[in-house]
Amino acid sequence: MTLLLGAFTIGLILSLLALGIYISYRVFDIADITADGSITLGASISAVLIVGDYNPLLATFAGFLGGMAAGTVTGILQAKFKINPLLSGILVMTGLYSVNLHVMGKSNVPLLSGTSLATWAERLGHTIFGDLDYNLLGWMVSVRDLVMLLGAFALIVTACLVLYAFFRTNLGTAMRAAGDNPQMIRALGVNVELYRIMGLALANGLVALSGSLLAQYQGFADAQMGIGMVVWGLASVIIGESLTGSRSLGLAIYGAVAGSVLFRLLVAIALRWGLNPNDLKLVTALFVFAALVLPQMMPRWKQSATLAKAPR
Amino acid sequence: MLSVRNVTKTFHAGTVNEVRALRGVSLDLPDGAFLIILGGNGSGKSTLLNAVAGCFRPDEGEILLDGQDVTRWPEHKRAKLVGRVFQNPFSGTAPTMSIAENLALAARRGQRRTLGWALSHKLMSEIRDRVRELGMGLEDRLGNAIGSLSGGQRQALTLLMATWLRPSLLLLDEHTAALDPKSADQVLRVTEAIVKRHQLTTLMVTHSMSQAVNLGDRIVMMHRGSVAYRFAGADKQRLGVEDLLGRFEELRRREMLDETAASLLEETYV
Repeated sequence: MTLLLGAFTIGLILSLLALGIYISYRVFDIADITADGSITLGASISAVLIVGDYNPLLATFAGFLGGMAAGTVTGILQAKFKINPLLSGILVMTGLYSVNLHVMGKSNVPLLSGTSLATWAERLGHTIFGDLDYNLLGWMVSVRDLVMLLGAFALIVTACLVLYAFFRTNLGTAMRAAGDNPQMIRALGVNVELYRIMGLALANGLVALSGSLLAQYQGFADAQMGIGMVVWGLASVIIGESLTGSRSLGLAIYGAVAGSVLFRLLVAIALRWGLNPNDLKLVTALFVFAALVLPQMMPRWKQSATLAKAPR
Repeated sequence: MLSVRNVTKTFHAGTVNEVRALRGVSLDLPDGAFLIILGGNGSGKSTLLNAVAGCFRPDEGEILLDGQDVTRWPEHKRAKLVGRVFQNPFSGTAPTMSIAENLALAARRGQRRTLGWALSHKLMSEIRDRVRELGMGLEDRLGNAIGSLSGGQRQALTLLMATWLRPSLLLLDEHTAALDPKSADQVLRVTEAIVKRHQLTTLMVTHSMSQAVNLGDRIVMMHRGSVAYRFAGADKQRLGVEDLLGRFEELRRREMLDETAASLLEETYV
């Protein structure tokens, strides 16, 4: 049960990553690998501030801003300097690795000292549910695990509602249009390059927020924690799309969250069944490969199947 | 009020692919005028329209709109004054977004995009009314993705979007060329109605002679990047399709003469 709660919580926290990837990959059609660096950036900024005894809300928000700054740089490389989108992301991601080490001063910052959002949640949990384990539908779970899950859930629901509302404002619809049909929205007076930069800033801000929360949940920030996160986010978005079968805005946002949680659960189960943790990234990459290729292959297989059946 | 003054544009200058697309084109379009630009392939008619829209900066010359020199304005800034319909019906609308959302985007053409709701109740009822006027039955499908509509429907909506806020200049770039005859007819009718109602200053590129004869109050015929003939007023009203074809034939013959003359000179002297 502890395993399940933990998987759910991490899945929810990483759904912010999935939402960021949704913006860059689906709205703007860019596989933005900056995310590998910005998730660590969010984690390291928040970790350093929390250890320095700053207010955890402030520390989390600073992480978000750091991610936005990273996304802005990637956006400027693409829009102003006309560098290939993929290469722009790679450049910023590579640069961020050094930046992150500088922010943290070492490769790993534990959050043992200092008050984080997780500490707050734990305190709140103990006043509500008491100090002992809590009986959840007949399972005994630790209050910490339970309250982390509830807290993450509340945060993610809020974030989703805010994002959904944003994408329905004048600014947000114009941003979606800038990804959907740049020529059209330019003819309607929108500076497409600027909106692209803003979109990537928002995407990487969400990714960094995810990193910040992840660091606070697991109790440390690490320079290596971002490796492969883009692929992880892509997997979540793709699973979400197959769950909802739709690209409409509300369902896409819901799908990204559901996809992230489901993917994390699958991984937790696979690890439990003896998947070597070293193979995890390879399996994730293969999964995304399959998800990208299968939709193209399916009609062909169906076609050849009907051809084979047809009388000659 | 549009003034194009001596605009020149050469693409890929100094390479083998050099194209002198515009060679000193001048135009004056008073308020409320409807100009048809005719011309064969490569005559520079679309390039001229793109120059006015701001897709590129001319090498030389000036473009004035509403008394302002817009020559150096980027495309998105000119959009404040210019409404535009493209040749490709897919170019003018955002396919994954709904009909209502597309129109809401157009309702703020050239204005600041704020954090207010894109689809207020007031705007929604206005959208329903104006879409009903198109007579295509789309007013009941405002929530549908615009990508699910036919080319003709999308082009009619693009026209509505381009003119939602009254533009100082409406640009139509062969906007019926990619449609089947029936939809093309329908879109043309909508075009006429909208231009007449709002008394729009309009610049329309076409290669259809019959459209040129039936629409607009003046014609410019382009050839090899410059203006070959102009018709306006009574001349334009008297003009028939045969007259236009005659002028085209004339241009073609003159060009062939140029070529034969050139080869003759080459044989004699080289």
